[in-house]
Amino acid sequence: MRESGNGETVYHAKQGPEGSLLTIEDFSLWYSGKQALFDVSMQVEKGFVTALIGPSGCGKSTLLRAINRMNDLIAGLRTRGRILLGDTDIYNPSVDVIALRKAMGMVFQKPNPFPMSIAANVIYPLRVDGVRDKSILRETVERALRQAALWDEVKDRLQDNALGLSGGQQQRLCIARAIAADPDVLLMDEPCSALDPVATGKIEDLIDDLRGRYTIIIVTHNMQQAARVSDNTAFMYLGALIECGETSTIFTNPKVKKTMEYVTGRFG
Amino acid sequence: MAQTQTSGLKQTRRAVLVADKIADTVITIGGVLVIAAVLGMMVFLVSEAIPLFKGGRVAAYSHYTVKKADSPVAGLSVDEFKTIAARVNRSGQVTAWHAPTGAPIKSPSFDLEHKQVTASAQAIDSRYMAFGFADGAVRFATIEPKTEVMNRRDLPSGLKTLDERDSTDGTTVYSLIPGNQIRKTWIELQLEEAIAMSPSARPIVAMDYRFSRFGERPTKALAAIDDQGAGTLLRAESKLNLFTGQVKTDVQKTDLPPLKNGVNIQHALVNELASSVYFAEKSGKVYRFNTRDVSDIRLAETTKVTPDSVDLNVFGYLAGEGSVVVGGSDGSVSIFFLLRRDGATTADGSMLVKTRAFEPQPSAVVAFSPGQQSKMFATADVAGGVWVRYGTSTNTLVKVKRSTVDSKSSERILLSPRSDGLLSMNATGAADLWELDIPHPESSLRTLFGRVWYEDYPEPSYTWQSTGATDAFEPKLSLAPLIFGTLKATFYSLLFAIPIALLAAIYTSEFVSPDVRGKIKPVIEVMASVPSVVLGFVAALVLAPVVENWIAAVLLAFVALPCSLIVAAYLWQLLPPPLALRIQGLPKLTIFFVVVLTGAYAAYWLGPTFERLFFDGNFKAWANGDRGGGAPFHFMMALPVVAIGVGAVVSRFFGARFSAYMKTLHPLNAAALDLARWLGIAAATIVISFVLAAGLQCLGFDPRGGFVGTYVQRNTLNVGFAMGFAVIPIIYTLAEDALNAVPEHLRAASLACGATVWQTAIWIILPTAVSGVFSAVMIGMGRAVGETMIVVMAAGNTPLMDMNIFNGLRALSANIAVELPEAPKDGTLYRVLFLTGLVLFAMTFVINTVAEIVRLRFRKRSMQL
Ligand SMILES: Nc1ncnc2c1ncn2[C@@H]1O[C@H](COP(=O)(O)OP(=O)(O)OP(=O)(O)O)[C@@H](O)[C@H]1O
Ligand SMILES: [Mg+2]
Repeated sequence: MRESGNGETVYHAKQGPEGSLLTIEDFSLWYSGKQALFDVSMQVEKGFVTALIGPSGCGKSTLLRAINRMNDLIAGLRTRGRILLGDTDIYNPSVDVIALRKAMGMVFQKPNPFPMSIAANVIYPLRVDGVRDKSILRETVERALRQAALWDEVKDRLQDNALGLSGGQQQRLCIARAIAADPDVLLMDEPCSALDPVATGKIEDLIDDLRGRYTIIIVTHNMQQAARVSDNTAFMYLGALIECGETSTIFTNPKVKKTMEYVTGRFG
Repeated sequence: MAQTQTSGLKQTRRAVLVADKIADTVITIGGVLVIAAVLGMMVFLVSEAIPLFKGGRVAAYSHYTVKKADSPVAGLSVDEFKTIAARVNRSGQVTAWHAPTGAPIKSPSFDLEHKQVTASAQAIDSRYMAFGFADGAVRFATIEPKTEVMNRRDLPSGLKTLDERDSTDGTTVYSLIPGNQIRKTWIELQLEEAIAMSPSARPIVAMDYRFSRFGERPTKALAAIDDQGAGTLLRAESKLNLFTGQVKTDVQKTDLPPLKNGVNIQHALVNELASSVYFAEKSGKVYRFNTRDVSDIRLAETTKVTPDSVDLNVFGYLAGEGSVVVGGSDGSVSIFFLLRRDGATTADGSMLVKTRAFEPQPSAVVAFSPGQQSKMFATADVAGGVWVRYGTSTNTLVKVKRSTVDSKSSERILLSPRSDGLLSMNATGAADLWELDIPHPESSLRTLFGRVWYEDYPEPSYTWQSTGATDAFEPKLSLAPLIFGTLKATFYSLLFAIPIALLAAIYTSEFVSPDVRGKIKPVIEVMASVPSVVLGFVAALVLAPVVENWIAAVLLAFVALPCSLIVAAYLWQLLPPPLALRIQGLPKLTIFFVVVLTGAYAAYWLGPTFERLFFDGNFKAWANGDRGGGAPFHFMMALPVVAIGVGAVVSRFFGARFSAYMKTLHPLNAAALDLARWLGIAAATIVISFVLAAGLQCLGFDPRGGFVGTYVQRNTLNVGFAMGFAVIPIIYTLAEDALNAVPEHLRAASLACGATVWQTAIWIILPTAVSGVFSAVMIGMGRAVGETMIVVMAAGNTPLMDMNIFNGLRALSANIAVELPEAPKDGTLYRVLFLTGLVLFAMTFVINTVAEIVRLRFRKRSMQL
């Protein structure tokens, strides 16, 4: 086992059958002068579930938000390096950020449905895209809610306000919303942190279901969850990527001592 | 150890509890005091306004019998202070008495040389009388109660005490008045030489007499008619030669075209100017002569003012001579105006129109007395009822009953000079005197809020005109034009302020980074600290002339500014993306200002051309309706609507295909194409608007007379600008706070769905914050409603009721400020101003309460997010 600290990331990730979808190359990020990411490089395999783990404040959310450029709104933000989706650099000035975000669904730590009807929540990504065809919208509502394993619970009250749902249902609704526009990538930032074990279980089943269809990146503090749902796991520490590898290996036989300490719960 | 710790803990708790208790009490007391203050204010306003709606009451009443009259009563007289009352009989005999008690006072009599009096007349000012004789002559007479104030020391001895105030020496009444002084009252008579009136020296059967002073020149007007229907009009003007002190009287006598023989004239009426003369028969048939031009006098109108089989018993003017009171034998009382009417069949285009109907009395109306300074009058019926009424409001103020009813209906009544007393007397000598307390006769719900047909007005209207030049002026106290003015000012200023304030709020809360917001927001909020008197001053003295000079450019700016911004936005897309991205923050804001200035300059530069093309070269003349058609304005109004319509149609039917196609293009080409598309939409909009406007004009629609019309320098447009300036910061700040209060995670969720910032703002942020934004608008509205200085200074203060944006207005608040100096304490106007305040208070209270309720609901809702 290696000591960390030499700045080198240890890679032993499983290769996907369809190759990688996202390539992060020497990506660094500064929040108004304060560096939050240090030369992160990794590949995200298409159709795989990739877990991001690491102690609080290590930059997981920052990295996730960098992928769909949600950080753009923050004043004084600066980046270096590249993030490639396919072979376009998403930080290239000519990239249409709106289109980029449409290609990536995002699920947040806290359920954040819009204060409108359940159906309106689901079709929101299509609505902003200018889709008005009623039949397409109706199909989308049903498909996305079924994929999010919510359909049976809400099919009779699609026009009810989404805020009337339980926390777990709201989170699944947010997932349905994130996949409604059929994105390539699904970014999930601690989607289960506000949920009870039953709801968490449902979401994990859901992620399992979506595997293969979507490329999923999930940030989690729950080691068991990461172990259960992901194919590859990336361990971050103090803004740097320490180890990125096959999940089973990370949790049973990490190559770096820091990872080992973290996954066995000795710190963090 | 543990013990002390717990007790120490307890002590702290007690201190906290005490502090908590104190804070609680203080806050509660403060809150209760605030509520009490607001309620107290309301109670005060209400208590000041309530007397307006109360009628009158009889403060004191006395009745007595004086000497029986030796001949029919020609007139009654009483002085200002109701000390001495007198009755003049047709024999010339004058009977005077102490008004409160009926004790006889000696008085001279008119020496009519035993000639037979066949008619008599008394002017509205009851001092002036005239006798008409059987030989066709007329004599003017004056019965004047004289008063003089003297020191109590000079009071002669041996006086007979009349009551606690008055005593007499037989001919003069001495009244003790405050300040240890004595007021002497006695009666003086004057009788002028006879003037022959009837052309054929026939007995005078009816006459009317007016006495007035035109520029200190005593002027008499008298109309008389003899038993053969020959009327004569006399106008006498006395001039005082300032050097010689001689009085020269010009007498102008004109015979009227005789009425056909056999008419039975009972009533005559003439006005002070001697410009119209009426003679009326008992049947209610009225003959009106237009005598404005004495060289061309003709019978202008013959009409009937009572229904068939109803006798005309009362026919007289109210003070000011705008209203003719008609009383019938059926107890009805009504008022007629002489109005100029299109299509009138009369010779001079005017006609008598019945405009007001009063509560009918239970039996035939037999006597009438007009108030001398107001539209108050009294009517008496045969059954003994005497009702005091008010002409403008048609209200009955006081109803009293005479002590004795004379079957011969020789009743005479007289309202005292100050309309604070009512004297009734019949031939038997039975008299009643009522002291009246009617503080606000002219106000009622109807006159304050309703539509009233005022004298000389062609139709009922809502009018505010509190003071006039003469005593006989009819105050017009409708609050409707003021409420309308307030709403109009509010409407137009919000029309200007809401879009700007909300767009600015959306812009700063959604589009700019927090540090830019941190700079913009305080700047806009500083706008709120400009005193409104400064805004009003600038609006009235600087803005109004500029806007008036450049009105076409100002109108054009409403089109030019949005267009320049849109064009700039499309041009911005044409910039290479790296460059566009680099220009952020202040430089971008600077560019923005440059664009706005360019738009403004374009409007300024194109203004004259625009005026020439659209408004026939002169906007004001166009607005007056003097020239040009309505199409240009329709065109301007249609532009935004059509633009939205065309835009919606284009994006509905071509939007998807277009954006799909755009995606295949290079971004710069796409941007160019986008601009081209916009230009296409703009062109289509212009063409469609033009067709629409032309069509509307062909259909006969003309905007002039509605929202646009005659241009006045101090107009609502300026008020809109100035008040908008005052309201924008309020709406902006509150709306911005509401938008900012929308949780960040909703914004993030929307953006992560691929929505643009604009879509996020419109579809997520605005609907979520809608009640907060609404309450911001309501609070802004509350401010606009209550705003005073701007409307006082910039609105011209014309209490009109039209929507014309180029005309002035008078708001409730401005009315209080403007009229207060003219309102004597506890007068009607004074109380009406309090009522104005109450209405204003109610309006702002309702608006602010609604705003607060909505805001609380919004707070509760946003807590759930
Ligand atoms: N908007 C911001 N501005 C400035 N610094 C930020 C901002 N957001 C995050 N940071 C900093 O960047 C670092 C990484 O934050 P990030 O939110 O990515 O951590 P995280 O790994 O997601 O932690 P957690 O597990 O607690 O969510 C932290 O030190 C944080 O303080
Ligand atoms: Mg995080």
